[in-house]
Amino acid sequence: MAETMSAHPKFAVVGHPNKGKSSIVAALAMDDSVQISDTPGTTTKQRSFPLRVDGKTLYELYDTPGFQRARRVLAWLEKHEVSADKKHEVVRAFINEHREDERFNDEVQLLEPIINGAGIIYIVDGSKPYGKEYEAEMEVLRWTGQPSMALINHIDESDYSQEWKRALEQYFKMVRTFNPMQAGLTQHMGILESMAQLKEEWVAPVKASMRLFEQYHEQMMDKSASLLARLVYESTSLVEKLHFTTEDASDEEKEKVENNYKNRLRKLELDTQNKVEHIWNHDHLEVEVKDLTFEGMDLFSEETASVFGLTRKELIITGATSGAVTGAGIDLLFAGHTLLLGGVIGGVAGGVGAYFGFNELSEVKVLGQTLGKRYLQIGPMENRNFPYILLGRALYYAQKVSKRSHAKRGEMELEMDSTFKALWLDDEVRKTLEGYHKKFRSGKEVTSEVLKEYEIVLKGVLEKLAKA
Amino acid sequence: MNLKSYLNLYELLENDSTAREENRAFGLSHILLKNKPIEQLLVWGNDHIATLQKPTLGDRFTSYLYGVSLVLVFVAFVVGLFSGVALLSYSGHEPVNVVYFMAMVVFFPLLTMTLTLISMFRTNTVQSVLVHVSPAFWMEKIMAFLPNKLQNDIKTLKINPLLANWVVIKRSQVIAWFFSLGLLLALLAMVVTKDIAFAWSTTLDITPEAFHGFLNTVALPWRDFLPSAVPSVELIQNSQYFRLGDKLSEEMIANASKLGEWWKFLAMATLFYALLLRFLMYVLSLIGLKSAVKKSLLSLNGAAKLLREMNEPIISTHALGKEEVFVPSESDYGQIVSQLDASYDVVQGWAISKEQLVVISDSKAVIAPKFFEVGGANSFEEDHEVISKSKGEVLFFVKGWEPPTMDFVDYLHELCLKADKVVLVPVGTAENHYSIKSSAVDVWDRKLSQINEVKVWLKR
Repeated sequence: MAETMSAHPKFAVVGHPNKGKSSIVAALAMDDSVQISDTPGTTTKQRSFPLRVDGKTLYELYDTPGFQRARRVLAWLEKHEVSADKKHEVVRAFINEHREDERFNDEVQLLEPIINGAGIIYIVDGSKPYGKEYEAEMEVLRWTGQPSMALINHIDESDYSQEWKRALEQYFKMVRTFNPMQAGLTQHMGILESMAQLKEEWVAPVKASMRLFEQYHEQMMDKSASLLARLVYESTSLVEKLHFTTEDASDEEKEKVENNYKNRLRKLELDTQNKVEHIWNHDHLEVEVKDLTFEGMDLFSEETASVFGLTRKELIITGATSGAVTGAGIDLLFAGHTLLLGGVIGGVAGGVGAYFGFNELSEVKVLGQTLGKRYLQIGPMENRNFPYILLGRALYYAQKVSKRSHAKRGEMELEMDSTFKALWLDDEVRKTLEGYHKKFRSGKEVTSEVLKEYEIVLKGVLEKLAKA
Repeated sequence: MNLKSYLNLYELLENDSTAREENRAFGLSHILLKNKPIEQLLVWGNDHIATLQKPTLGDRFTSYLYGVSLVLVFVAFVVGLFSGVALLSYSGHEPVNVVYFMAMVVFFPLLTMTLTLISMFRTNTVQSVLVHVSPAFWMEKIMAFLPNKLQNDIKTLKINPLLANWVVIKRSQVIAWFFSLGLLLALLAMVVTKDIAFAWSTTLDITPEAFHGFLNTVALPWRDFLPSAVPSVELIQNSQYFRLGDKLSEEMIANASKLGEWWKFLAMATLFYALLLRFLMYVLSLIGLKSAVKKSLLSLNGAAKLLREMNEPIISTHALGKEEVFVPSESDYGQIVSQLDASYDVVQGWAISKEQLVVISDSKAVIAPKFFEVGGANSFEEDHEVISKSKGEVLFFVKGWEPPTMDFVDYLHELCLKADKVVLVPVGTAENHYSIKSSAVDVWDRKLSQINEVKVWLKR
């Protein structure tokens, strides 16, 4: 058989039209470019989705058109009285005979990978009642003799899965439920595990694919954490300058430099969002969705500060803690001879600084007076709350994108409320982050080691959010 | 591994346009370097160096640095030489005080070398005062006088502060070494060409014995193998000089020929403290610079991404080719029925049982003499028989949630050959009282628009 020609397992996702085959393929292949439509017959050609590592294919998934004339195919097959071991040859003969026949284009397209060795993943919609019209196509699939499993997809809320199970179990080795719209990594792995069980020879390669998927997920987490770390560092240490030639800078010039500064920060955030989408293979999120992202929740709005930022109390505590740490350092230096006053003074100074740093971003300074080239400068970011706001928004976006199914189309729902902050920001994380934010704010060069440490903290937060 | 490798990699990464696949291929073809990120970066840099425009940034920058360093080295040497001459010049009134010269060749180098050592531990600091006081730090200020093009190169260059500090430290050692060489040559030249009467003088209450003890300690590195280069107590006693009093005229003049013996000590002090120790500092700074280059390579913008691309397998799950999709027309079907008649000649259901058809018809207040199930599990013969019995107006119920297949379309075409009119009614499930969402009816609407069968009407 042709199956022996290629070593890797293949799986053809087949079924009645409009039962979510393409959605399932999109979810399993993590490819949001797959055309998904409520109009039947959108998929006209079989399409291969190989899982490849460094160019080597571990397994291959086929999206196929739905059955259109299953009864006619079955009638043709049944005309050929053969023993069970020859049935697949009859199916091959059907394909060969009807390859150029327009009427059976869809059937040829869907049966071809199966007859070439692909396992069958038959998709039905468990939210709609079972019907006898499915029996012809299930019978055709049985003629191929290939290992098969059925997946019950739930397109709507009604549940007819029990009647489906009773029918499907007569035709398929395994019956599983899978909702591509809500499937996360665990469900994905569950389906791969089932696929592995279809044939003994497929166990090892599919298990290897599962490990690879986990590694892939890990890579995505790493890259997202790295992006977010870079965003916070670059935004916090960003400096915007505007040269002026007059005696004194005008209010318009001060406003201009501040606006330029804010716009650059907004752009950094938007670029990061785009990169996060790319990392998680969501390159096809609609452009208008991006424009709507955080609409009414501008990076510098009070709403965004209240949702993602620290409260005034938290900010004072954070400032006081980091100040006290510095103070405690002074105490330590003098072996406690300051009667621990260093800690107290540092705490008060840090807290007061944090309190006054709540609303303003950064002071617009006039620099270069003595050298003759005068310019306005804003940045690095002085507002202690800003890194938390920016990070909160970025984490929120990354979490939404990472959890979004590749089968979903249309707008990404962004419903923000203050409960999100509670999911990731506890006292310990806040204290850890503040140490890094302080370094970023200082305007000094931050070493790659420090950024790496910050990335690790953020990866921990992303993993926590993924489980939430 | 040197500053040039760093700068070349800096330039390569700034202009990097290599594909991820290419970088991964590099990683796989250099698999032995997998856990050696610095080596990976350097080998990658060497492999891609040809893509850079000549002269490379590394060539240009190191060439400027070399040129400026050369000027500073020359200046330091000349200053050292003249300082030495000035310190050893005999005014004719007073002998040459060896303490001044010792300050320049022993105390000053020891002090600067201590500061250098401290600054070596603080190289991570961007604004290191100890580094900024170094003359080498001012090299960049000198570079401000270079032509515009050269200046632009330097301005846009963002060298890691750790590395920049080490560059300054290393260059400072070279400059200081040449300064000391100038002092030594001045000493030797003066000794050869002039008759110098050395003496020592201090306001402090130091006895010649104590001073001898101190000098003996200073001469520790060479006193065993070169005892003549250590001043004796007698020489020290003879050469002590007081500006007030008449000691000079008697004892010093009497031992004038011996006073010159000091030069051996001063030469050895210069050789050891100002030149040898400084050379060791230079070696230390070379090691530090190499280590800083290593660390800085990893901090280069784009280095982490490049390493990730080399070492992480490329996992792809997406389809290879472009998807061919059928895009149906959006035109509405023209033949719509909004109200069903009270009776029809035949009622048919596609994959709907006869019993269900009776119930559905009743729910729609429709009566008919004949009810037939077609499609579904029927054979084609059974369907043909139903068609042969179907005349006049046919009310055709279909499961609204199931999209129309070509099997259904084939049947519909055949039915239209016999029937006068076919009214297609998509219905919902019994649980929903056979009502159906309009979006599901839209699917049927679009399908009918495509098949364009004049006898078929759609109930909406």
